[in-house]
Amino acid sequence: MGGKITCTLGEVKNRADFIVYWGGNPAECHPRHFTKYTLTQKGKFVPEGRKGRTMVLVDIRETPSARAADIFLQIRPGKDFEVAATMRALLKGQRVNEAVVAETGTTVAQLQDIVDRMKRAKFGVIFFGMGLSMTRGKHMNSGSILMLAAEMNAFTKFVCMPMRGHGNVTGADVVLRWTTGYPFGINLSRGYPRFNPGEFSTVDLLVRGDNDAALILGADPGATMPQPGIDHLARIPTIVLDPKVTHTSRLSRVHITTAVTGISAPGTAYRMDEIPLPLRPALKSPYPTDEEVIRRIRQVVAAKPAWAPAPHEGSGLS
Amino acid sequence: MITLTLKDQPHVPLEAETISPDVLSTLSTDSIRALPVQLGKRQRRLDDFFSVEGDASDEIQIRGDARKVKWIGRGMTRGRIHIDGNAGMHLGAHMTGGTIEVTGDVTDWVGAEMSGGFIRVRGNAGGQIGAAYRGSLSGMTDGTIIVDGTAGLEVGMRMKRGTIFVGGVVRDFAGLQMKGGTIVLASGAELRTGAWMMRGTIVSLKPITMLPTFSSAAVYNPTVLRLIARYLRTFGLSLPVDDDAGGYRRYNGDTCVPGRGEILVWEPRSA
Amino acid sequence: MLRITGGTVYDPANGINGVVKDICIDDGRIVSNVEGGRTIDATGTIVFPGGVDVHTHVAGGALNFARGLVPENQRAARKFLHGTNRRAGIGGMTPTTFATGYLYAGMGWTTVNEAAVPILSAKHTHEELHDTPIVDKSCLVLMANNEMVLDLIEAGEVERAQHVVAWLIWAAKVYGVKAVNPGGVAAWKWGKNASKLHETIEGYTSLTPAAIIAGLAKIIDDLKLPHPLHIHCNNLGNPGNISTTIETMKVLEGRRAHLAHLQFHAYGGDDWPTMRSGAVEIAEAFEKYPNLTTDAGAVLFGDAVTITADGPWQHMLHQLTGRKWGNLDVENETGCGIVPYVYRDRHTVNAVQWAVGLELLLLIKDPWRVYLTTDHPNGGCFWRYPEIIRLLMDAEFRKEQIKRLSTDAQSRIVLGEINREYSLSEIAIITSAGPARALGLSHKGHLGVGADADVTIYPAKPANDEMLFSYPRYVLKGGEVVVEEGEIRAVSEGREFVFRPAYDAAIEDYIRPLFQKVYTMSFENYPVEIERVRGAEIVNS
Repeated sequence: MGGKITCTLGEVKNRADFIVYWGGNPAECHPRHFTKYTLTQKGKFVPEGRKGRTMVLVDIRETPSARAADIFLQIRPGKDFEVAATMRALLKGQRVNEAVVAETGTTVAQLQDIVDRMKRAKFGVIFFGMGLSMTRGKHMNSGSILMLAAEMNAFTKFVCMPMRGHGNVTGADVVLRWTTGYPFGINLSRGYPRFNPGEFSTVDLLVRGDNDAALILGADPGATMPQPGIDHLARIPTIVLDPKVTHTSRLSRVHITTAVTGISAPGTAYRMDEIPLPLRPALKSPYPTDEEVIRRIRQVVAAKPAWAPAPHEGSGLS
Repeated sequence: MITLTLKDQPHVPLEAETISPDVLSTLSTDSIRALPVQLGKRQRRLDDFFSVEGDASDEIQIRGDARKVKWIGRGMTRGRIHIDGNAGMHLGAHMTGGTIEVTGDVTDWVGAEMSGGFIRVRGNAGGQIGAAYRGSLSGMTDGTIIVDGTAGLEVGMRMKRGTIFVGGVVRDFAGLQMKGGTIVLASGAELRTGAWMMRGTIVSLKPITMLPTFSSAAVYNPTVLRLIARYLRTFGLSLPVDDDAGGYRRYNGDTCVPGRGEILVWEPRSA
Repeated sequence: MLRITGGTVYDPANGINGVVKDICIDDGRIVSNVEGGRTIDATGTIVFPGGVDVHTHVAGGALNFARGLVPENQRAARKFLHGTNRRAGIGGMTPTTFATGYLYAGMGWTTVNEAAVPILSAKHTHEELHDTPIVDKSCLVLMANNEMVLDLIEAGEVERAQHVVAWLIWAAKVYGVKAVNPGGVAAWKWGKNASKLHETIEGYTSLTPAAIIAGLAKIIDDLKLPHPLHIHCNNLGNPGNISTTIETMKVLEGRRAHLAHLQFHAYGGDDWPTMRSGAVEIAEAFEKYPNLTTDAGAVLFGDAVTITADGPWQHMLHQLTGRKWGNLDVENETGCGIVPYVYRDRHTVNAVQWAVGLELLLLIKDPWRVYLTTDHPNGGCFWRYPEIIRLLMDAEFRKEQIKRLSTDAQSRIVLGEINREYSLSEIAIITSAGPARALGLSHKGHLGVGADADVTIYPAKPANDEMLFSYPRYVLKGGEVVVEEGEIRAVSEGREFVFRPAYDAAIEDYIRPLFQKVYTMSFENYPVEIERVRGAEIVNS
C-alpha cells in the first residue's frame, strides 16, 4: 500500500545505472527494450552507454536475457514474493531467517549484495513481468516490487515499471480509468462503474459462469482460460471481433472479421509507461475497423427501449 | 420471523442488499415481496426469486442454495439472519451489529469491513474474510467471524480489530497487512501467512510455512490466549492452552515492513 | 433566442452591480435585444456570468494516475448514472471526465483551465478534455523543468530559447505556460530539490531557479501570450516559504505573472512547530507588484488528493504522513507526485492552512487580482467552492468556524481580526470576471454584448439550508440551457482554446537532433495533431 513510483522510459535511457528485470524475458518478449530504452543506449547522463549500467536479471530459469545480464539471480519457482520481502527487510537493516531464505534458492549474502548495489546506484529501475503477475501471488508479487522501489527512495532515486503484454492493454487501462475511475474489471450493470477484482474480473466471471453473454474484442480467452471458463463461453451467446479466426471464434455464435489496428486501422496506443503514440495505418483493409463495428452495434442497441436501472437510494452499493 | 425460500435459481448473480433486518423489520409481506433486487442489469422483485412468509420482523430465515445471491445482510445493525443453505459474496459486509448464521457454504468477502456483530458459517468460505476492499485502509474493525470449514485467500486482510476463527485449512496470505485483531487457524494455512503484517495476532494450531521475514523467539503459552480460548469456548471451539499439552512458538514480523505482529504456532509436547 | 428577465444582474466587468435588467441571447452570444424565442423568468434570482476556474487539475496523465491510486475514494464518491444523454461516472476528488463536466456545469462554472500538461503526454490530456462535456477548456503546458529550455537559458541563448518555447507550446496545442517549482522537478530526477532561488540547481553548472523564472517570464511576454507565465513557486508548503515567494515576486521585476495557489506559499515560522500564517506579509508584498495576479488555492477541511508536479514535496509528504504515494517522472520535461490526504481542523498546520487561503482572499484588496480556487483537488474539491464563498461573505459565520480551531492554531493566524465581507459583485469578480481577464478570454466572464452566453442564475435566497451558490436554478452555456433546477438538460461539447505563437520554423532543425538523442520516440510522433483537439479555437499571437 505504499504506492507506485515510476517514470517514462526516457528517464531510464538517460539516467539509469542500475536496471533489474524481474520475472520477464525481454530479449524474447520485448525485443527492442535493451537497445531502445535501457541497456545499450547512450543516455544524457550515462554517456558510456552499456558500460555505465549494471543489469540484474531475476528469474526462475536462464533465458536468453541472461546473456545480457551482469548478474543473474536464479530463484526457485514461486519464491519471488519471499525474495522481495527479504530484500525489503535487508534494506531496512532488519532480521531475516537464513534457512528460510535458502529455500528461495538464494542466500542472504547474495540478496544483501544486490540491495547494497541498489543503494549505491544513482538511478535504479525494476522492470517486472508476467513471471510475477501471473504466478502464485499475482497482484501481491507485483505489489512487492512496487513497495521495494518506493522504499528504495529513502536511499536513492528508484522507480519500477510493469512490462506489459501485447494488445495495448495499457491503453485500455488508461481510457477505462478516465471514463470509469477504474482500470479493469468494471461492472456497469447498476448504471455506474463498480470495481472488484476477483468478482468482476474476466477469468473469475467466466469460470464461475456469472455472465450470460460475451463480446470479445482483441483477445483470445478460448486459448488461455481455464477449461470451465472456455466451456461457459461455448454455452452462452459469444460474439468475437478479431482480424483472425481465433480459438474463441470457433466456440462463438458470431465472428466479425475486423481490420488490424495499427496496420489497417488508425488509433492511439499507449506505451508501457503510459505515453500515447499515434498509429498510422500503412495498408488498407476490406474489413471494417473494430470502432466501426462497435458503433453500429451501439446504434442498434440505442434504438431499443431504455432499460436504465431505476436508482434505489439507500442501497448505495459501491 | 420472515422466511424467504429460494424458488428460482438466478442464472447470473443476484444482488440482494435489501435482505437485511434493518430493511425488513417494518415491512408488510406484500412490501417485502416487492422489494427491489438486481439481476445483472435488470431490477426485479424479491418474490421473483424467493417465496416470502411473515412480516415486520428482524429475524430472517433464508432457505436454499443462495450461492449466487450477493450482499445479504449488508450494513445490518441488529437482528438475525439464519441461512439454511449457501450464500453468496459480501454476506454481512459493513455490518455493525446482529447475527448471521449459515448452515452451508459462503463465497468471498464475508464480513468485509464489518465493525460489529457475529457471523458463523458451518461450511466453507471463500477468500477475503473480514477483509478491506481494494484500496481501503482497513478491513473489519470489530466483530467475530467463525468459519468451521475451509477458507480462501487473504483471510482478514488489513483487519484492524475483531476475531476470525477458521476450522479448516486456509489458502495464501491469511492476515495480509494485518493491523490488529486475532485470527485463529485451527488447521493451519498454505503460504505467506502474516505477509506484511503490522500488528495483531495469528494463531495456528498446525505447523505452517513461515516467510523469511519472521523469526521465532520462544515457545510458551501466552496469557492472552486463555482469554481468547475462553471466548471461543462459548461457540464450542477449543484452543489448546495447557502447558502439559504443549506450547506456542512465537514468531515476530513482518520485518519487511517492519511490523510488530505475532504468529503463534502450536507445538504439541511429544509424549 | 432567449431572454432572461427580472433577475438581478452582476456584471462587474461592465460596471453592473446588482441591477434588475434583461439579458438577451442569440446564436450563443449576448445580444442587445431579441424578439421572440424563450423567456426565462428570473425574478428572485441573481444572474452571474458563468464561473471560470483559472487553476484546476481535471485531465491528463497525473490526474489519471491519481484515479488509479484511490479506488476507495471512488467507491465513496457520488455516482453518476448512465442515461439517454448522460454517461456514467464517478464524482469525488478525482472525478471521471464526464462527471467533471456535469459537476462544474451543475455548479454554474462554464470555463475550466487545466493547469498542468506535459508535452509528452499532451495527447492524453486533450483526449480527456474532449471527454469532459459542456465546459470550455484551456490548458497550460509545463515548461520550467524542460531540459532543452533549461539548457538554453543556462547558456544565455535567449532568442533560441524563445523559439523553442514557442514551438513546444504549439506542439502541445495549449493556451499558456506553467512553471512548477522551477528547477526543483529537474533536481528531483536525482532525488533532490531546488528551494533556493539563487542557488545552482543539481545537475547544472550555473542555472538557478531565479534565472528560469525571469527567463520564462520574458519569453512569455515577448511571445505575447494572452495569459502570463503561471507560476507554482519554489519551496511550496514549507514553513517560512514567504521569503521564497516574495523573492519570486522580486525576480519577476515587474513583469506580468500569475502566482498559483498562493495559500501554499504563504507560511511564516521557521519549522513545523513554529509554522504560522504569512498571509499579511504576502498580501503586502503582492500590493507592490501590480502586474501580478494570483489564485487562492484555499484549503477546506476534509478529504483531498494532492496532485502536483512538485515531486520532492510529495515524497516528503509521504514520509511525514505515511500515506500512499505515487510518482511519475516524465523524461526531459517534468514529473508528478500524488498523495491522498485529509485536512483536519484539530491539526494545527491544517488549521493554519485553512485560515491562510481565506486571509489572502480578504487581505488582498483588489478582487480583480485574486481568484477563487482550491488548486483542485489539492486543497479541496472544486464542487465545494460555495463553502468558501460563504466564508468570504459572512464574517460572523467565519468567526464561528475559527472558534472550532485549537487556541494554538488561533494564535498563529490573523483571520479572526478580519471583518471584511465580500459583496456579490466581488464574488462575481473572483469567480468569473477576474479569471477571465487574467486568462485573456475576452468573451468570458462578462454579460456584455458579444460575450459568450455563459450565464448562471442562482436563487437570491437559497432553499432550506443550502448555501447560496450551491444549486443554480439555471446554467446556460453558449446560450443553451444545460442545467435546470439541478438537472442536466443538455450535454454539449465545449471548445478548447489553443494559442498559436509565432516562431521561426527553422528551430525544428535545432530541436529534432536533440530530441532524437534524449527522447524515446520518433520526432514525428511528438507534436499533438490539431485534429486531436476537438472543438479547437485557435488564438493567434
